[in-house]
This record gives sequence, structure tokens and C-alpha cells, in this order.
Amino acid sequence: MCPEPNSNPDAIQPFLSDESSSTGCAEGIFFPQNEAEIREALRFCRQTGAPVTIQGARTGITGGAVPSGGQIINLSRCNRALGMGWDEPNQRFTLTVQPGMLFSQTQKALAERDFDTAGWSAESQSVYRRFCAGGRWYFPADITETSASIGGMVSTNASGAKTYLYGPMRAHVLGVRALLADGRALLLRRGGQHARNGCFQLRLEDGSLVEGKLPTYRMPRVKNASGYYIQPDMDLLDLFIGAEGTLGVVTEITIALAPVPACSWGVLVFFDDTPSALRCVRELQKLRAERKPAAIEYFDRACLEMMRREQSELHSHQSLPWLPAAEAVYAEFHHADPARMDAGVEAVAKLLQAAGADLADTWLALTPQDLDKLIGFRHAVPESINRIIAERKRENPSLTKLGTDMAVPDEKLEWVLNLYSGSIRQLGLEGLKFGHIGDNHLHVNILPRSAREYAEGKALFLDWARQIIAADGTVSAEHGIGKLKTAQLLAMYGEQAMAEMRALKGCFDPLGMLNPGNMFALDGSG
Amino acid sequence: MEIVVCVKQVPASTRVRLNPVTNTIVREGIELMLNPFDAYAVEEALRLREKAGGRVTVLSMGIPSAEGILRHALGLGADRAVLLRDKRFAGADTLATAYTLAAAVRNLGGCDLILCGRQAVDGDTAQVGPSLAQKLGIPHLSAVSRARLLSSGELLCEKLADEAYLEIRLQLPALITVVKEINTPRFLSLKGYLRARGAEVETWGADDLNIDPTRIGLEGSATQVVFTAAAERRKAGKAVSGTPEEAAASILGTLLQKGWQRPTSEANRG
Repeated sequence: MCPEPNSNPDAIQPFLSDESSSTGCAEGIFFPQNEAEIREALRFCRQTGAPVTIQGARTGITGGAVPSGGQIINLSRCNRALGMGWDEPNQRFTLTVQPGMLFSQTQKALAERDFDTAGWSAESQSVYRRFCAGGRWYFPADITETSASIGGMVSTNASGAKTYLYGPMRAHVLGVRALLADGRALLLRRGGQHARNGCFQLRLEDGSLVEGKLPTYRMPRVKNASGYYIQPDMDLLDLFIGAEGTLGVVTEITIALAPVPACSWGVLVFFDDTPSALRCVRELQKLRAERKPAAIEYFDRACLEMMRREQSELHSHQSLPWLPAAEAVYAEFHHADPARMDAGVEAVAKLLQAAGADLADTWLALTPQDLDKLIGFRHAVPESINRIIAERKRENPSLTKLGTDMAVPDEKLEWVLNLYSGSIRQLGLEGLKFGHIGDNHLHVNILPRSAREYAEGKALFLDWARQIIAADGTVSAEHGIGKLKTAQLLAMYGEQAMAEMRALKGCFDPLGMLNPGNMFALDGSG
Repeated sequence: MEIVVCVKQVPASTRVRLNPVTNTIVREGIELMLNPFDAYAVEEALRLREKAGGRVTVLSMGIPSAEGILRHALGLGADRAVLLRDKRFAGADTLATAYTLAAAVRNLGGCDLILCGRQAVDGDTAQVGPSLAQKLGIPHLSAVSRARLLSSGELLCEKLADEAYLEIRLQLPALITVVKEINTPRFLSLKGYLRARGAEVETWGADDLNIDPTRIGLEGSATQVVFTAAAERRKAGKAVSGTPEEAAASILGTLLQKGWQRPTSEANRG
């Protein structure tokens, strides 16, 4: 039991910030190891009237885990796998974990079939023996930052490059156990409890009910991580996925596992201009069924220029041959049957040729070792940007990276690319466009060189957000709202929707204890 | 310029099975890859050919699946690929392997330069390259980090020695083994892959080579692996915290728990 928080400022200090680089404040911190200890910590907070910030691995970049006073419940010590199951209808293993278990830790344990099964039920132990006996299984959710926690991934509906094929975290969650702020527990299983015509009645473990109305806004029909996931007849499990910890504290998660694809391969295709790259993306997006790419990613000329500079000046990215001065599209493919790979490569070659790609200059990664190099290249782009910004920050501490996370409908992709390029050019800013173009979701990063450029970049982002909302897009497709994008969420859905979202939160957390500042600005503006 | 590159297929994982009789690595049914050092040898061969013209032949002794790494090299731009495949080659040590490869190089009609990776990451002996050169009676240089063809027809090589780089001129024909600093291997191109799909990988057996059958495979091996085992993973140590007294008490407790006997007071006095 951990009834008392650690209130030593030195112990709290490392937990006041997350990857967003913003910093908050807190009076104390709990490190519970199980649900009972989380419940005790919540009881303490209720009794003292303290707001609570729930933390996973603090890898988010919108400040969701940054405390706004009160107490922190840090779930990093709730990091055990609790059991394994077999999903007979879908012929797959399932894994139940505590929220603090890391994504990387989960994948490693699955790959090495190395779980600490102490305390697992006899049935779990039996399934685990079957799991160990044959086949290779993994967790097919994909994120860039693999040190994220599974609980954090649930609360942010995390996604990554391969979300294009496999869907975001929501697609892989079969069940969640959570505690409400008042300590009551609920267990949500996929398909277990549904809303009806925008109203919901959720039965908790003690038999009591939480009921209310769902917000009435219509979510954009794009990849989206802005606000609560709402559908009139929705599976209520989905309400807790992507809720940014505002409704309850997730204490257990059951995820679906999948067989490791027998073969994975990728191509990095170079283009002289954006229309050609876009043509290639359009063709890749048409591929369906077993030919559908796992990921379609884009890098503009500025990204490749940055990488080329680092190759020549810093001698970094040495595992890659010299990158050309071009734009690039990366596509990755997975096959359950390796015999289909050859036909897949041939089909993609025809498609790329038709899109104007030079096959002699198209890098093909057929081995895991080569594929790792291309994936490494994808990850190196934001890392290089962060490095450049860190350097500039040393000279001018007020500068930070400005990054967008907006997505648009299919027919608006070309428009939004032109919008981004035109504004960056017009203002003379240093801007890079890259990311998940398969989902019409690009990250535009502005690298300000001065306070003036930083202000211009911020204003530009607001203008883009306004235009993208008008074009039925979303202000956040991946990173979530956290504490940094509440104004954009308000701009996207409007006052009425925000009030409905607050009312929904009030059904579960009437005192507003959980994760204050996430989704809803503390000053009431959003 | 005729260039031969010797390549080897190695397990992609350190988790390998061993043949309980011969103690050699079982290569069937596991994921295999091109020996990483050999990728640099293939790249260097292609670069030298791009400058000097000629032909690059890739050569491997292995099981049928080794055709995959040879086809990959053809896709990268090699002109010819030969797989030495025969049950009688199985179980060869470095001596028998070098003998067989030497016979294959002679069968190719000789060459101007042979490139090998510095070592294979499965056996880690680094012996096959130098041994092959010895069998062919040509000079060799190991661990080369830079190679440049001179107008004199010699190969100017650089290799790292203790705290210095050595520059060495090598009279061709010769053999060099290369390290990863020598270049950054190119990616297979889509065009290269499509071209290599239909290309021929020649297969030679023991009967295709003019060799002494008692000098190949397990029979021709002068060394025998007596015992091989995967290294045990060391568990992380346990950190002990607290005051020196507390830490000492904790360590003592752990030792006693593990069956350590406290010295008797007489022994202490002694």
C-alpha cells in the first residue's frame, strides 16, 4: 500500500515534464505497483482535494503527463504482464498487462518468449505454454517512440507509420480495466457495452451505473486524435481509448497479438518534384488486401537536404548511402506468405514506374538488416530536427520546435501540401514536411532561427488549423490534445461540443480530479 | 579486371542450433543473411570495377539457400555468381574451405583480385581469406579500410594498425579482406532486383572441380570443433543501497541465503 505520496521536491522534480518540454508543478508523487495501490492513492487525493495527473512513460509531446499542481500518480512501476489468453474466434493470443509496461518491453518479451509468469492463473500459464511452443507473435500496434507505456498508448490512442495498415491503438485493444476518480472499478470488453442513440449506461464492477449523454459532434472522417472518440451507438470501450486520462485511471489492458509477418520489405523511392511523389502516393493508396502497404511515408526535399548535410558535415547516418537531392516516398509491405513477396515487388515496381520513378534509383530493402536501415532513416528525420533545435536553443532559449499533426481527407492532400509549401516559402521560414502521407497526415516542422520566426510560425500554425478545420480535417491526428492544443480543439469543435465533452467527463469524474488541463484548458477557455 | 568476391551465408541470429555430432552450425531451417563484412567486399568490388572495368564474380560455398545472397549480389551489380554446393563440402573447416575455394578460383580461370570480408560473424576466425591466398600463391592483406587502383596496376591499400594507418602497395593478383570502414554498401535497387531474378546462379559440385576429395568437407578438415555452446547471459547484478552498515548487512544476508558459511571464530583468529 502507498497511502502517502512522496513529497520530496527532489523526488518530484524529474516527473514535472514530458517530451513536450513543458514543465508543471506538483505537491507529491505516488508510484503504485497495482490497482489496490492506485485506488489508495486516489482515495488520498479525494480526501485532500488534490487534482491528479496520471503518468505513463511521459513520451507524449502535447503535455498530457505534465502535472498542473496536486498529486502525480506515476504508473511506471505497474509494469507487469498479468496473463495470456487465446481468442478462439480470431485464432490469436491475447496479452493482459499493467498500464506501465512499456511497448518495447512487451515486444521484447514476446519475441524472446520471456515473461515472468509468477502469479498468473493456471489457464494463463497453460496458454503461455502453447504460446512458447510455436510460432512467433507480436503486438502489431506501431509507434515511433517505443519507450511509451501501453497505458499511455491506450489513453492517447497512439499511432505510428504502420497505423496505415494496422490501425491505431484502438484497433488492438480488447479490454480495459479502469478506476474512476471515486475508486469504483469498471471492466470494458470489446463488444461488451454499447451506447444507444447517443446515450450510455455503463455498469461498474460494484453494480452501480454511470449514465449520460454522448457529445453530439461529428468526428472528421480522417485519422484523428482530437477529443473523445464519439459515435451514437459506440462500443463504450472506445470512450476510454484516447480519453487522455480524463475519465478514469486505466489499470489493466488486454491487447490482441498477431503472428509476426513472415516477410517484410520496403522501398525508398526518390522523386524530382512533389507532383510526381504525390502521384506515387495516390497509386500506393489504391493497393488493397494483401498488397496494401503497411506504411506510406513522405519526406520533402528539405528533409533530404538536412540529412545530406548531416551525412557530409557530421558523418552521421553512415549506414545509408549518399542520399540524393530529391523528395522521397517510403513504403513498407508485409506478407504472411513469403512466396508472395516476389509478385508483390513486381507489382509495386510496375506501379512506381507508371508514377515516374526511376527503378535504378529506388532503394529496395528485402532483408531485415536493410529494412532496419530504412526505418532508421525514417526515425532519423525528427531526431535530426530535434538536434538542430537543441543547438539553436542554446543560443536562444526561447526557441522551440514547432510541429503540426494535422490530417485532411483524401481529396485535400494536394491542396494541403501546396498550402504548407506556399506559406513556408512566402514567409521565408525553414520548414520541413514529412510523415504519414498514406493517411494524408503530414508533420510540418518549422525550425525558427529567431524569436520573430518563432512567432510567425505559431501564427502560421493557427492559420493552417483554421483552414484545415474548414476543409473537414483534424488539428491532431496522432499526438492528441494534451495541454498544448486545447485552443485548437475548441476551434475544431466549437463551444457547444466542448461543453458536451465537459459534461461527459463530469459523468465519470464529477469533481474534475483527473488530469486537469488535458483537453480542457484550465482557464476554461477550451 | 577480373574480381572475385567470396561471400558466406551466416545465421541472422546468435541463437543457433549445433549439429550434436559435428558441433558445426545447423544452417537449415533458420534465418540466414549475407555475412555483414562480405557486403563491404561486394561493394568495394563493384566500385573498383566501375573505375577499372572488368567483371565481378561472387563465389560462395554453402547450402542451396545461399543462392539468395548470390542473387542479391547479382542484383547489386555483380556479373556472375557461382555456388559451390555438394554434400561432400559439408562440415569443412577453414582449411578445407580455403582449399575448395582455391579450386573454384582456378576453375574460373584465375583473377586479378579477390575480396573477402574480414571474417564471418558465425565462426569469427578470419582465416579463410589469408588461407585462400596462400593456396593460390598470391599476396594478401587483411583488414583493409581503403583500396585504390594505381596506374601502375598495383592496389594501394590502407589498413589500421596500432595508432596509425599503414599504406601498402599490393602487386596483383592479390587478395584483400576488408573492414566496414572501407565503404557504405549501396542498397539493392528495384531494377537490380528485377534483373537478378532471372539471372543464372551457376552451381558447381566437387566433380566440377579438379580437387582431391580427401581434402574437402569434414574429411579434409584438420580441425574439429570439440564443443560449442551459447554463452550464458549474465544476469544483472543487484544494487545494494543504504548506509555502509545496512549495505554490508544486506550483502551478508544474501550470501547466507545462498549457502555461504560464516567463518568460525577460530578461523578468524588464524
